[in-house]
Amino acid sequence: MDFRLSEDQLLLAEGVRDYLAGTHGPAVLRRLDAGPNRDPAIWQGLVAMGLPGLCVPEAQGGLGMGLVEAALIALECGRACLAEPLVDTAFVAVPWLLARGETAGLGEVAAGTRKIALPHAANPWVADGDGTALASVDPLRNLATAPAGASDDPHLFNLGALMCAAQLVGLGEAMLGQATEYAKIRQQFGQPVGAFQAIKHQLASVAVAVEFARPVVWRAAAALQAGEASAALHVSHAKLAATDAAILAAETAIQVHGAMGYTYEVDLHFWMKRAWALAGAWGSRAFHLARIDAGVIGGSHPIGPEHTFA
Amino acid sequence: MQLAYTPAQQAFRAEIRAWLAAHVPAEPLVTLECREGYDSHVAWERTLATGNWGMVTWPEQFGGRGLDLIEWLIFEEEYFAAGAPLRANQNGIFLLGPTIMEFGTDEQKARFLPPMARGEVIWAQAWSEPGAGSDMAAISSKAQLEGDHYVLSGQKTWSSRAAFADWGFGIFRTEEGSKRHKGLTFILFDLNTPGITRRPIRQLHGETGFAELFFDEVRVPVANRLAGEGEGWNVAMATAGFERGLMLRSPGRFQATARRLVELYRQHKATASPAAREAVVQAWGAAQAYAYNTYAVAAKIMAGGKIGAEASLNKIFWSELDRTMHRTAMQLLGAAAELKQFGDGSINAWLEGYIFSLSGPIYAGSNEVQRNIIAERLLGLPRVGAG
Ligand SMILES: Cc1cc2nc3c(=O)[nH]c(=O)nc-3n(C[C@H](O)[C@H](O)[C@H](O)COP(=O)(O)OP(=O)(O)OC[C@H]3O[C@@H](n4cnc5c(N)ncnc54)[C@H](O)[C@@H]3O)c2cc1C
Repeated sequence: MDFRLSEDQLLLAEGVRDYLAGTHGPAVLRRLDAGPNRDPAIWQGLVAMGLPGLCVPEAQGGLGMGLVEAALIALECGRACLAEPLVDTAFVAVPWLLARGETAGLGEVAAGTRKIALPHAANPWVADGDGTALASVDPLRNLATAPAGASDDPHLFNLGALMCAAQLVGLGEAMLGQATEYAKIRQQFGQPVGAFQAIKHQLASVAVAVEFARPVVWRAAAALQAGEASAALHVSHAKLAATDAAILAAETAIQVHGAMGYTYEVDLHFWMKRAWALAGAWGSRAFHLARIDAGVIGGSHPIGPEHTFA
Repeated sequence: MQLAYTPAQQAFRAEIRAWLAAHVPAEPLVTLECREGYDSHVAWERTLATGNWGMVTWPEQFGGRGLDLIEWLIFEEEYFAAGAPLRANQNGIFLLGPTIMEFGTDEQKARFLPPMARGEVIWAQAWSEPGAGSDMAAISSKAQLEGDHYVLSGQKTWSSRAAFADWGFGIFRTEEGSKRHKGLTFILFDLNTPGITRRPIRQLHGETGFAELFFDEVRVPVANRLAGEGEGWNVAMATAGFERGLMLRSPGRFQATARRLVELYRQHKATASPAAREAVVQAWGAAQAYAYNTYAVAAKIMAGGKIGAEASLNKIFWSELDRTMHRTAMQLLGAAAELKQFGDGSINAWLEGYIFSLSGPIYAGSNEVQRNIIAERLLGLPRVGAG
């Protein structure tokens, strides 16, 4: 029994974090917001990192990794507020197609020439889809109407919800970091506002929420990867915990920024809006709560310590 | 990530489960906070010791089983799932024990640890003083070196179980005129030493769980000093780390509470509010999250890692979870919540638990102090003034 991420997994995530921090900072988000919000050069960079092929089998030019690694990278995508459709293509669509044995064309995904936007009956629209455009509050999210007769496949749904949860944790961590940095430099009453306990304690509460949402995401990723019978419940738990942590982070972060947080000029809004968007995508809070409820109160999910990991 | 218990771990779970099934008292013991309850809890500690279950992670020579932290978590899970009594010995085995292991001499380890593991000596923690609660560095009780003895004088307070316990540990000012964290020394003392007066304090629930201690020229051998003179603060901080970190509150405790809460909800489903229902689901989830986190930390520590200021995240999480779970139970119970015993004569453990859960955010460093620590040490926010 070892519920730790491995050294290799942590190094992988760190590499992606550093890469995105160096190439996909707030200036890039502002540039994307001002013009076309997709950029082939950014996508090519992700391809060079091997990320679209992360879950593609090695025989097809991918890295052959699993859902825990994918969730780790999805968290980094959230942290960087990545605009390109990496998560949906590489961590939702690819694992789903693999699970169905539909391996044709995955090599093109790894090579970066194919992006996949999968509609699902739970989502009334598709991100980066081909339908009629819809405006999202998130300026970097491209929504389109969903085609009729979208799949209602539960595995696809669980993959989508899990990767949403991972991004939400990353978004929450990023917003906590931004608010903390702002609180160190903004001076009022002759001191940094971050020296006021009212500010400190709110940020500390966000740190607690994020800290205890993160392992729930890893647990869900491991469950879905292993095909555990309770995987759906763990995914819903992850989505719920991550959503609540990210929304708390967002509301706290804007409060800590004062009026600056209410402006378009401060970068926080990109992260906050992504969190609002993902909070309702791939199953509402009520839906996920109900799925956990059915297992825990309904009694279909065995509870007790020996069932923590099984 | 390797999410399966080894056959040895499974066998261990089966072993402790079977032992507990055969030994846990059928009726819950009277609260640990009164004389009768204290005595029955100490008797239980000795029963545990007959099975060598006192503190499974300690080396065999000190009365343990030399097991690792994962096995300890399994032990705790089964312990709480079985509804076994609270540990009268917790401040010994979870706080002082690890501290002696880290700072004690071989002689001190041999002298203090085995009787602690066997439940023969029950320890009280005596840190707080009337003027030094959150601000522990304001301690003013003194220990003056006279030959091969320290002479203790002053007053300690809120010392859990000190009304009945055998020994105490605390920090005292050994350097005349020293300020704050300097000049403090960690000293172990027999609570029956002449010059110590214990005044039991009634707690919120009416029982005398903790006590005030008055020291009037109390002579304690120098051999009872842990680590060097003047090093008390650092030693105490290590103890506080054990307290907030892994040991004091293991996830099995909260998972057991969450499970009982789910059962309570099922009984009161017809009258429960949707908000209570969500709180029950969230309680299960939070107890799980706490378990995941703890398992990860345990594996990290086993691989040689350490837990630092993150311990403050844990302390806030479990104490607020515990309070929320018990508050929810009180809501579910409705009118019956106020009863000390239900109609069938059984103890209203939710009421006792709710009252106790209100102290969680206060003891072991208040949650406000923990939030200061998180903000300053983990987030790097500026420190201004006290705190
Ligand atoms: C059930 C129980 C068992 C206990 N057992 C023991 C024991 O065995 N041994 C022992 O030595 N002590 C024990 N204590 C005492 C405990 O350690 C103290 O209660 C704790 O350290 C807080 O100190 P205080 O009660 O004096 O509160 P105070 O320090 O007076 O605090 C009052 C309020 O002010 C807040 N506050 C204080 N300082 C700050 C700050 N810097 N920033 C923000 N807010 C602040 C606190 O959070 C709290 O809300 C126990 C307490 C309880 C309730």
